[in-house]
Amino acid sequence: MKPRHRRPWIGAAVVIASALTLSACGGGDDVSTDPGDDTSTAATDAAEVSGPLEVWVRAANDSLVSYEMLFEKFTEETGVEIEVFATLTDFETKLSAAAAARDLPDIVINDASQLGNLQSQGIIRSFDQSSIEGGDDLSDAAWSSVESIDGQTYGVPFSAQANLLFVRTDWLDNLGLQAPTTWDEFVNVAKAFTTQDPDGDGQANTYGVAIPGSTQRGYISWNWSTYLWQAGGEYVEIDGDTVTPVIDSDEAIEAATWFQNLFCTENVVQPGALNATTLETNEAFQTGVVGMYLTGPYNIPTSDGTAVGGHYTVVAPPKAPNGGTSTMAEGTTIYFMVDSEVEAAADAFAEFMITPEAQEIGMVGNPKASIVRLPVNTTVDSTTVRDGDERWGIAQEVYESDGHYEPIAVPQWQEMRQAASDTFNKTISSCGDMSAALAELNQQYEQILS
Amino acid sequence: MSATATRAATPSRAVPAGGSRPSPGRRRRRIKQGLTPWLFLLPALAIFAIFKFWPVLYGMWLSFFEVRPYLGNLWIGLGNFERAVTDPALGSAALHTLIDAAAAVGLSMLFGFLLALLLEGPALHLRLIRTAAFLPVVAALVVVAQLWDVIMYPSSYGMLNSFLGFFGMGPNEFLSDPDQALASVILIQVWKHAPYDMVIFIAGLAGIDRQLYEAADIDGANRWQRLRFITIPALRPVITIVLMLGIIRGLRVFTEVFVLTNGGPAGATEMIVTYLYKTGIELGDFGYASAISTMLLLVTIVATSVTNWIRGRKED
Repeated sequence: MKPRHRRPWIGAAVVIASALTLSACGGGDDVSTDPGDDTSTAATDAAEVSGPLEVWVRAANDSLVSYEMLFEKFTEETGVEIEVFATLTDFETKLSAAAAARDLPDIVINDASQLGNLQSQGIIRSFDQSSIEGGDDLSDAAWSSVESIDGQTYGVPFSAQANLLFVRTDWLDNLGLQAPTTWDEFVNVAKAFTTQDPDGDGQANTYGVAIPGSTQRGYISWNWSTYLWQAGGEYVEIDGDTVTPVIDSDEAIEAATWFQNLFCTENVVQPGALNATTLETNEAFQTGVVGMYLTGPYNIPTSDGTAVGGHYTVVAPPKAPNGGTSTMAEGTTIYFMVDSEVEAAADAFAEFMITPEAQEIGMVGNPKASIVRLPVNTTVDSTTVRDGDERWGIAQEVYESDGHYEPIAVPQWQEMRQAASDTFNKTISSCGDMSAALAELNQQYEQILS
Repeated sequence: MSATATRAATPSRAVPAGGSRPSPGRRRRRIKQGLTPWLFLLPALAIFAIFKFWPVLYGMWLSFFEVRPYLGNLWIGLGNFERAVTDPALGSAALHTLIDAAAAVGLSMLFGFLLALLLEGPALHLRLIRTAAFLPVVAALVVVAQLWDVIMYPSSYGMLNSFLGFFGMGPNEFLSDPDQALASVILIQVWKHAPYDMVIFIAGLAGIDRQLYEAADIDGANRWQRLRFITIPALRPVITIVLMLGIIRGLRVFTEVFVLTNGGPAGATEMIVTYLYKTGIELGDFGYASAISTMLLLVTIVATSVTNWIRGRKED
């Protein structure tokens, strides 16, 4: 056991150094440019349109197939080739790496909620709304999702969605109940689903509400936001370019306490909710563990394909005691990247993507993945395109009348959402004082925003 | 792998010096002999330099910046490090990591050692059981974590809970309870890593001279005395290796926590690396994330060096 190499210290250090590689992306030289100023609008003369167009899209597998159907159609119509890069994993990190290498794509198709983040990085280009042909047909709600704090337009909306309440109809029927329309009714139905054996198997193995309570990607506060807005609260108030946090308002405390009670006093949430991402939560609803789920319409086709298909309905989220009817709105945006040498082609691409034809292909072209959940183009009717499926009509109605986006124009929004999630996860797990927790969160927001 | 470089280079230095004044021919031969291993290692070293050492050094460099990929990085000196030492979330993540590393490494070693004592030997049935015991190590960590998530389902009809129900215990919340989550994660790590330690211990046990045991028998030593005065001292180098691997593994624990709890509930299982992932990959704060990982690297180097130093002192 004696022989050992002479320099164990160095050996060990080197081993660890190799074991511990944080591949930090980003960086680049210390050159400060100011590309955010770029407000030029590209000529949209079709004759000048040339490619190829490099498009990055946050998609994979089925959704990528759907996008590619659209891309092929675009190439067919304009002759402009598209080079696609698609991924779901660490999309933003890869984009940062491309930015550092000064090798940005021409177009990025990503969540609407990335607006503030991308804008503050200086990698997306603003433009004049009127320069987009067909832009008049888009809904105001959709256009509002691409507006920065200083009132500039930074992207073309491509798809929209609003959260709906999914409810098991067979469970309602078994217990002689109706789908809830108010918070109180919601709690009652949830309690009945939890305690009255709605699936009739003689075991106490069902729960009222499915909530993704993990802090990952900010899921828990993301799920709660609908109730916040319904109660009349907001995360921040935006006045001109000043952003003031108001998450400690009475309305916010009311909504947060009610939400916490679902876990702490009513006990109607599925087990393990505080670690659950949407993956586990979808599963809880789709395997008949839980009877109600506030989620996006993208879960309609996936749920239809499971055991609960045909046994559930979707309704507008239940109203707050004050009658407030908001619901979380989200979307997908086409962002124009700075430094593009094919701006005309990029414009033509966005214009194509919002045409009724493209929107329809995005909705139903590939039944496995609907990349346009709700059309942003007001001339397209969801129910008609989806073969008279009323549920999509409800989704569109709810989006148009009650859709409420997160404060996505705030550059620090991702960090703020994470902080809200941490606060909720922590306070709910200990069933602690919500008003104190929100006061603390408000202070944290002031720090983040300063 | 890089350790091989140092190890391979050392024997050449150990070549006897020969006469006091070597002839020119002999000196040339010696230089040649010294260079040969390095030449053979060059391709591997070049690859490591590009894909390992350079990113590590570059990450350290980025620690001093507010990283803005497109607009250009801003030099902020020690700003990120100051933030790190005053960040309460990082402090609690560091504490959890230390508890997790100490408990998981300690218990894995203990169970690994006991398993090794039980399962050492050439008999067929022992080999079969050893293989079975080793399976957790071979299984992919993500899969293992998912399985444990199912086993620890926090209601009375969860697998582990129904088992505990037979004894009138539970149902436990396990991963969903801030007070039990860290212990649950540790349990999974022990289950996964103890067999790995077992294999190293078995190799160590096989190397112990049987005559020592026979001599001890003749002297009338009992089982415990044989263990205490022969087995454990003979295994000391093995224990250091297992301990060092454990510390490195423990400090950078990520996958099982990320899959099972993502640091929750209530941050009860937040580890340094899960926190690092959140700041770097999810929030894009690369400068701060680099600073944290640089600090983690330094702590790991210090911890392993201290282990090594203690080992060296004990053996000399």
